[in-house]
Amino acid sequence: MKYFIWFFLILVLTLRLITYNPKFSEGQKVRISDTVSSEPIKYSYYQGFNLQGLKIYLPSYPEVSYGDFVIIEGVVEGRELKNPLLIEKKEGRGVLYKLREKLLGNLRKALPEPHSSLLAGVTLGIKSGMPSYFWEALKSTGTAHVVVASGMNVTLVASFLIGLLTIFLPRGKAIVMAIFGVWFYALISGFDAPIIRAAIMGSIAFVAQKVGRLNYAWRGLGISALLMLIVKPNWITDLGFILSFLATASILAFEPKLEKTFSFLPKVIKENFATSLAAQVGVAPVIFLTFGQFNILSPLINTAIAPTIAPMTMIAGVGSLVGLLIPDLGKILLLLTIPLTSYFIGVVKLFA
Amino acid sequence: MKSIWKYIFGIIGLSFLALVLAGSSASDDKLHLISCDVGQGDAILAVYKGNQILIDGGPDRRVLDCLAKYMPFWDKKIELVILTHPQDDHYGGLVEVFRSYEVGTFVANQVDSSTAGYRVLKNLVEASGVRVVNPTDNTSFRLGLLYLDIVHPSSALADDNKAKTGKGVLGAFTSSRDLNDYSVVAILSLGEFNALLTGDIGPNLIPEILARGEIDDVEYIKVPHHGSKNGLTQELLERSKPEVAVISVGRNNRYGHPHEEVLKMLSDENIKTLRTDELGDVEIETDGDTYSIKQ
Repeated sequence: MKYFIWFFLILVLTLRLITYNPKFSEGQKVRISDTVSSEPIKYSYYQGFNLQGLKIYLPSYPEVSYGDFVIIEGVVEGRELKNPLLIEKKEGRGVLYKLREKLLGNLRKALPEPHSSLLAGVTLGIKSGMPSYFWEALKSTGTAHVVVASGMNVTLVASFLIGLLTIFLPRGKAIVMAIFGVWFYALISGFDAPIIRAAIMGSIAFVAQKVGRLNYAWRGLGISALLMLIVKPNWITDLGFILSFLATASILAFEPKLEKTFSFLPKVIKENFATSLAAQVGVAPVIFLTFGQFNILSPLINTAIAPTIAPMTMIAGVGSLVGLLIPDLGKILLLLTIPLTSYFIGVVKLFA
Repeated sequence: MKSIWKYIFGIIGLSFLALVLAGSSASDDKLHLISCDVGQGDAILAVYKGNQILIDGGPDRRVLDCLAKYMPFWDKKIELVILTHPQDDHYGGLVEVFRSYEVGTFVANQVDSSTAGYRVLKNLVEASGVRVVNPTDNTSFRLGLLYLDIVHPSSALADDNKAKTGKGVLGAFTSSRDLNDYSVVAILSLGEFNALLTGDIGPNLIPEILARGEIDDVEYIKVPHHGSKNGLTQELLERSKPEVAVISVGRNNRYGHPHEEVLKMLSDENIKTLRTDELGDVEIETDGDTYSIKQ
């Protein structure tokens, strides 16, 4: 009986994968109505984004942003929508969308490039405004995962919140608050597929682990991954999905050991360090394979930058939130990240 | 309570490091005139003792990389931004500049461009509440010892159809003229060093500009219109007598800029020619007395 549910889920998934057809056929003229759920990448005279699995390139203006509802016509060619025509655009008016724009604005107004892009990437998973040379450098050093919305951001937020809240609250309450925090973060950083699944997997694994039942965590992770794939079979080849899964799995597998290995470090640093390092152990090989750039020094580079990521994310998060109320104070807080981002950027440039 | 101290020490440590970094990235006393490598387009940055003037923004966000490189990291205010004329290889990047920087004064013509991108820029300028100045040949700006004199458009040209509101406005009228004709031409000077910044001005207007007699011997010229044949003239070179000419142009651009004839004109006069497509950012440093090309 214990294994029946696993057997059943895997069977359903197999059937689902076999019978799953991509929505569009080659050469088909289609009209897509959907909400833009990723930040469009801006090029000199055009902008690119994904909609229902198709790459779409439109002229730079009118600007399409994350959260906009668009109607676009075009012809399907491979995984791209050719000759796209923007029929209609309704701007995203949600409160959270506005909040996210404001937070991004605070980062951009406070710091120069590529510092502001790096922080937008690690805190909100936004990489549309990132200078192309910097994105290339991240890819070639195997550090691009820090700016990809994945389980790692979610786990970082969760461990930061737990670390902070346990100062004032009993552990049980702290965990509950942290889960709220994670989902709030998921909302702000674009309530789209990668973040949602990262939040699902992350919170299940994280809670189970902190509660002390590692078995529950593995089971929770496995079942949630299977269920998500049954609903969305095309995620099986989705980089973000694979990264979230691996990051969570390797945190479960390696974090306790790493925490012991680094037991000489102060507690706050140690937990964050062990968590991010553990996540990277699983994520790194996939990053190498996907971005096709194998950098033999990558584990070293990742270890070198790992300690900066948690404090960078925390200060940037707090600084841009404070900036909503007291702009000058927010700016000063964000300037505190400069030594961290400078070090991060220096390391990445050195090895790129 | 122990971990609170960790946070406090962390913050103190970071503040200290940030201050050290701030000290090391502070500006010196010289004028740095940088022709930013923004691909096919213009973006010229003048940095002088913590003040900055940006003339055009290139086509896209690459101008931000140039600003980040030459401005101290804590300085997110540009004192003066000038748009020579509303074409996308000049204003495109300014959209990003207005989103990331505070701007003291924005100088631009009233002539409109019907493009969607320019509408976005106008909205951003309006929303930021920045002071807008419509330039004529009587306009000049001063930042410490640094002067910027506008020599074109003439008040006659700028006043055509002009909205007489007393304060600066954008996009007040449309024109059937070539937008290049409205290009802001300016002379930037510090002490004995003069730089002639020419936008996309062409042979049809150069005689008229020279006739106003404001241009004479300069050290530096930004070659008009990315080195197009429809730009620099022999007459302009003879009058301005530059020693250094900078061409802001994209690698393998589809217009074939810079034109051979223009390059020949410059080499015949023995003018040192620096191109952003070959050198990346081109930086000149001067104390107002002597100048040097920074490599």
